[in-house]
Amino acid sequence: MKPQFRESTPAPETEPKAGSVPVPVWLFVALGLLAFWSLRFLDTSAGGFNPKVYRPYASLASVAALQPKSEGDVMLVNGQRVFATYCSVCHQSTGQGLPGQFPPLAGSEWVTAPAPNRIIRLVLDGIQGPITVKGQNFNGAMPPWRELLTDADIAAVLTFVRGNQNWSNAAPPVTPEQVKAIRDKVPARTAWSPDDLLKVPETE
Amino acid sequence: MNRGPVIFLGAFSAMALSWVGLIVQPQLQLGRSPQTTNTLNPVELYPQARSGLAQQGLQVYRSLGCATCHSQQVRQDGTVFDVALTSLGTNIAELVQAVQKVNPALSPAEAGKLVDMTPQIVLRGVDQATADTAVTNLSVGGAKAAAQLVALGPDLARGWGSGRSVAADYLFDQPVQLGAQRIGPDLANVGLRLPGRAWHFHHLYDPKAVVPKSVMPPYRFLFEKRKRGPQPSLDALALDGPSPRFDAGGTRTNWTSPDALKLSAGLAVPGGDELVPTDDAQSFVAYLLSLRADVSLFERPLSVVPPKPTAQATSATAAAVPLPAR
Repeated sequence: MKPQFRESTPAPETEPKAGSVPVPVWLFVALGLLAFWSLRFLDTSAGGFNPKVYRPYASLASVAALQPKSEGDVMLVNGQRVFATYCSVCHQSTGQGLPGQFPPLAGSEWVTAPAPNRIIRLVLDGIQGPITVKGQNFNGAMPPWRELLTDADIAAVLTFVRGNQNWSNAAPPVTPEQVKAIRDKVPARTAWSPDDLLKVPETE
Repeated sequence: MNRGPVIFLGAFSAMALSWVGLIVQPQLQLGRSPQTTNTLNPVELYPQARSGLAQQGLQVYRSLGCATCHSQQVRQDGTVFDVALTSLGTNIAELVQAVQKVNPALSPAEAGKLVDMTPQIVLRGVDQATADTAVTNLSVGGAKAAAQLVALGPDLARGWGSGRSVAADYLFDQPVQLGAQRIGPDLANVGLRLPGRAWHFHHLYDPKAVVPKSVMPPYRFLFEKRKRGPQPSLDALALDGPSPRFDAGGTRTNWTSPDALKLSAGLAVPGGDELVPTDDAQSFVAYLLSLRADVSLFERPLSVVPPKPTAQATSATAAAVPLPAR
């Protein structure tokens, strides 16, 4: 191809200037629609930009509807899990214990006492020594759970054990506040002996 | 170039808008988030600050570049509800009928068995309205039922957590180690999944010995080879026996054990030596164990706290996390 030389075009008399062409109106409309759609998409899929709303939830109301409703029921389910993990090894999943080795929880007077103050102490720091449960004698040791289980865990498992109707237990539930009160009041100690524990007043 | 100011303004506003959208707005939304409250246990604040050792471990995690291959973010796609029968009432026969009505797939015998084994889940994977109706229908004769929320998603199905990660999980991370790709598993809940310190030490020293299909490089420089003294060093890797036993004087009696870690060929430490984790390894493992987001928050509702792991994690659980039957 033959190169073209500038000499062939006449030199312009003035400097070229940038002209102006009006932006088409439809472009504004299209951009406006795009902005509307994208903002709306962001807003609906980001829960109205609420820092408490995350995918897959779409709004504050939908998250609020999912909050655990009845703490008592949840505690029973939690208690069952804690029991299955930590307690059922010795006390058996039936709550009957093993004759001569581990005391039963079903129908036990230690478990179903109206006030949970002794059983909370027992679970927190463990118990060791000869103990009579439902007329049977046992002489074993239960480890302390103070470090391993939280107040909520202990409250849940005690609620589960004390209120377990399958075991014919019907004692009132235990709240995390009750466990916390006793945990704060009684410093960590070696395992209780049953006699020491009986000296703790019935309601305290 | 006779439009200098216009070009400048255009560039400036483009930068300023992105800065506002990507930096200022998120900062306003989440920048000053306080600790939140555990919805199942309102006295507990979440998250708790890491221990000093674990805070140092975060810097080790950062310096080793773990975030290149591991994410710390669990995703969630949706939620379903399970209905659990939590306590029996007085009228068992009626309750068995109610269970059957709620879950018609159950035969009378199966329904009776579920009722016998209460607390049990009687209906799985339904929406909230169905679950609420089922709870009402099961409340016959003093029986109690509860709807439990179950989070769904591929990450959760792999056993990487019980709910999605939220901003509160990272409140005390500096810098946040979200990670970019998942060449290895997600670590947002590794402290919950694999709670054994010894497991982590072994895994860092020789990943393939613990997880045969692992592609993780070994981090042997986190361990120091020392001559064995009369007593083993604290946390020394018991390469020839993971469960050290001591006599009354505190002298270790066993240096071999049938359930010893099988090191890859050529890695065995010659007799007379022990492998001791360095300070970096100690803080690193403390950090890994502190990675556990298992608390029910308003923005991450969980009905049931997952059970705390008790048994030392084994290689089997690490290699193949079973998919839950769902």
